Amino acid sequence: MISIRKLEKIFDSARGPVRAVDVIDLEVAEGEFMVLLGPSGCGKTTTLRCVAGLERPDGGSIEIDGELVDSAGGGTYVPPERRDIGMVFQSYAVWPHLNVFQNVVLPLTEGQRRIPRSEVRDRAREALRLVRLDGLEERPVTDLSGGQQQRVALARAVVTRPKVLLMDEPLSNLDARLRDQMRDELRRIAESVNVTSLYVTHDQAEALSLGDRVCVMNEGEILQLATPKEVYSEPPNLFVARFVGEMNFLPAKVLDAGHVESGLGAIECAVPPGCAPGSAVTLGIRPEHIGMTAGESAAGPRGQVLRQTYLGDALHCQVQVGEVELTVKAVGDAEYDRGATVTVSLPEKGWHVFPEGQ
Amino acid sequence: MRLPRFNGQVSPLLPVALAPMALVAVFILVIVWVSFQSGTLGTVHSSYTLENYHDVLGDSAIYGVIWNTLWFAFSTVFFALIIGLPIAWLTERTTIPGKAAIYVIMTLGLLIPGIFVAMGWTFIAHPRIGFINRWLVDLFALDNGPVNIATPMGMGFVQGMNLAPLAFILTTQMFRAMNPMLEEAARTAGMSATATLRRVTLPLAGPAILAAVIYIFIVGIATFDIPAVIGLGNRVYLFSTYLFTLTFPEDMEPRYGITGAVGVLMIVVALVLTAWYGRVLQRGNRYQVITGKGYRPKMLDLGGWNWAAWGMIAVYALISKLVPIALVGFIAFAPYVAPPSLEMWEQLSLNNFYNVNWELVWRGMKHTLILMFVVPLAVMVCAFAISWLVVRTRSRGRYALEFGAFLPHTVPELLFAIGALLVALFVLKDYVPLYGTVWLIALVYLVTRLPFATRALNGALLQIHKELEEAAYVSGLTMLRASRRVLLPLLRPTLMSVWIWTALLVYREVTVAVFLATESNITLTAVVWSYWAAAGMTEASVVTTLMILFFSPLLLLFWIFGRRSALAED
Ligand SMILES: Nc1ncnc2c1ncn2[C@@H]1O[C@H](COP(=O)(O)OP(=O)(O)OP(=O)(O)O)[C@@H](O)[C@H]1O
Ligand SMILES: [Mg+2]
Repeated sequence: MISIRKLEKIFDSARGPVRAVDVIDLEVAEGEFMVLLGPSGCGKTTTLRCVAGLERPDGGSIEIDGELVDSAGGGTYVPPERRDIGMVFQSYAVWPHLNVFQNVVLPLTEGQRRIPRSEVRDRAREALRLVRLDGLEERPVTDLSGGQQQRVALARAVVTRPKVLLMDEPLSNLDARLRDQMRDELRRIAESVNVTSLYVTHDQAEALSLGDRVCVMNEGEILQLATPKEVYSEPPNLFVARFVGEMNFLPAKVLDAGHVESGLGAIECAVPPGCAPGSAVTLGIRPEHIGMTAGESAAGPRGQVLRQTYLGDALHCQVQVGEVELTVKAVGDAEYDRGATVTVSLPEKGWHVFPEGQ
Repeated sequence: MRLPRFNGQVSPLLPVALAPMALVAVFILVIVWVSFQSGTLGTVHSSYTLENYHDVLGDSAIYGVIWNTLWFAFSTVFFALIIGLPIAWLTERTTIPGKAAIYVIMTLGLLIPGIFVAMGWTFIAHPRIGFINRWLVDLFALDNGPVNIATPMGMGFVQGMNLAPLAFILTTQMFRAMNPMLEEAARTAGMSATATLRRVTLPLAGPAILAAVIYIFIVGIATFDIPAVIGLGNRVYLFSTYLFTLTFPEDMEPRYGITGAVGVLMIVVALVLTAWYGRVLQRGNRYQVITGKGYRPKMLDLGGWNWAAWGMIAVYALISKLVPIALVGFIAFAPYVAPPSLEMWEQLSLNNFYNVNWELVWRGMKHTLILMFVVPLAVMVCAFAISWLVVRTRSRGRYALEFGAFLPHTVPELLFAIGALLVALFVLKDYVPLYGTVWLIALVYLVTRLPFATRALNGALLQIHKELEEAAYVSGLTMLRASRRVLLPLLRPTLMSVWIWTALLVYREVTVAVFLATESNITLTAVVWSYWAAAGMTEASVVTTLMILFFSPLLLLFWIFGRRSALAED
């Protein structure tokens, strides 16, 4: 539905050119919910704005629904108003001089995709019902709460029934509880109108829970493009591993195809093919993959509990094992005293091995 | 240089934004060109020469004029600041009651034309006919009137009174932005009160005050109306009035080359001062970034001094506006110019009204009204185009636009008037018959009113998040529709106040109108001037009185719609 090919965008700034998007390729299938995830300044917004036509790329091309809408070399350019899209902005950008209903109606009456007058009212009501704002039609938008304004923006974006819905951190201005609630709503709405979505966020939890696929970006490049499960369980490099979820890292040296030497001694794990024996690697393991039992009864490395953080549904413990400090996530209601001796288990399948220089 | 682009296309707004810039350039360049010409301009009988400069600088008259102008400008700055600065301090830093009323008085002060006040002051303190002098002569049996307003300093006093509101507005912003906590911090750091003043307060306030001084000085050296009304009849010439006599001599053919050369001198002075002004403003802004924001300064409680403070403001209002204008109103009904007295009171009549050439007044009124409709509209369209390009695009060309729109703020309107006159007479004469039409005046007004409108719109556009417009584009609205349905409604309050403010300033404008007026495009203010210049003081007073009467409903409109943003910007 959306194909981005070799997209490139360079901004002129006072300190010289900034490569905001550094040649990316991205295909979003029809009906798919694609999330762009990455740290601040990595070029997510720029990519989205290029798709919307609000920004002209310096290289590459963009197709929406099989139609070429932008090509830097060929000179094709379809302006935003003639692209079949809806967009939700980070600032919501609801028009403050109009009320809720007028905000939603304007694209239908004044836009390029306008519909017969007689259908406008029904269509707008339908969109407002979808975002559960029915009954607030006559309110000035400036009187609404953040979450409600957010819904107006969403209703306005879907009211024209676009093929593509673009969203730029639509939840970032909401408080935590509302954000969780709206996240589920968003997913429900995107599914019910069967729209292809491109969603920008820097919040990994949001990305993992919303996306059919997640595209992790850094410094204008795509680092991984995969399902949330793969992104979490098989990060291809250190950056993604650091950015998504939590992970313990320790330096190590390859012994052979099945073993590495680290601060915890020799460890059994799958070494990627490219790593020759003797080369330096970084080992990673997620806190929840580390097992922990009190006392010294079990077999395995021993450690001392340094600190613990209670999170309600789990317990985060800092454990000193040899020279290495590990974060361990323990579920259930186990409790450990400070300084208590514990035995940790480090399953072979939990380990990730990242070659040096990544 | 990359042109300002929107979505890769050269914006359709660009020509609209560039048109007034082109006018600015043409008006200035034509003066320079003419200054190097001799012979019959615009024909084959002209040639390039330095003769004009030679003649101007060789004539000792010019040095007298420079001397007078400097005296006048310095007096103007002095009186404007000595009145405006304390009032600004009172409103921003003390608990003086009725602050809104002070703002009204000062804003009105900005709008009442200097020409009216100057007429009043002629009646008050002219060496021969001035009432004060008549009374003093009668009282002490003197030979001559001891008070003379028709000196550079006297006229500077009148102009200083007139520009005190400008000083007030320029410095209130400074007092508002200056954080008293910085002064308190210095005191708690162990500095004495005088050390604090010397090391903290003055360096912080310095740039703003200096900027006000430079700006008022620039306005001062180019003032035409007051020196013309008071000084011309007494043969006291300033730059502006000297230029006027050169351009419209009574007894010989005008030598425009000389006008051009004097004009160029003035352009150079104005540009140098503009550059300095720009630098000072920048420095001031830097301090404002550090301070400002989110604090409530502690107000000084004046206590019993409130009365004294209000007394001072009232005296200022009386002397600067009310008394002079009341006198003009009085003379409008008096048989001849004489001090108010019981015996005069009985002779008041409507006779003067019969002597006025009503057909001329009608014509003036018609032209003024046309200008009041056309100019604000054109200003708004051009200012919108400029502001949008400056605020919303990323091209470097936008700095050039910003500078071009700022230039007429400091380059005197007098120069644009002369430039327009020369263009109409010698450049366009055979192609576009602009000379003697209101459109010529309109073009100059467009240029001179642009800086204010552009700055007001820049501020307003910055307040409107860019995504509000973009949301309209992605909703399928074309740029035109997005402007109409989203941008313009959001800009409406600013547009309203700019509109009314511009219309008011067009109504009261004298200098440009006098330089460009002929029988066929005379405006109301030019009618007043033509009566005055022809020694028809009573008739001039009649027309002035009428103008003030028409003014009141306009002021009311301004009051209702636009005072806030206008005050904040100018
Ligand atoms: N208009 C612009 N002019 C100059 N540089 C820009 C402009 N817009 C973005 N950039 C730069 O391009 C890079 C990518 O910006 P972008 O807005 O796409 O980041 P982002 O991933 O959306 O970040 P965030 O999560 O903070 O919104 C940044 O380095 C930014 O400074
Ligand atoms: Mg962003």
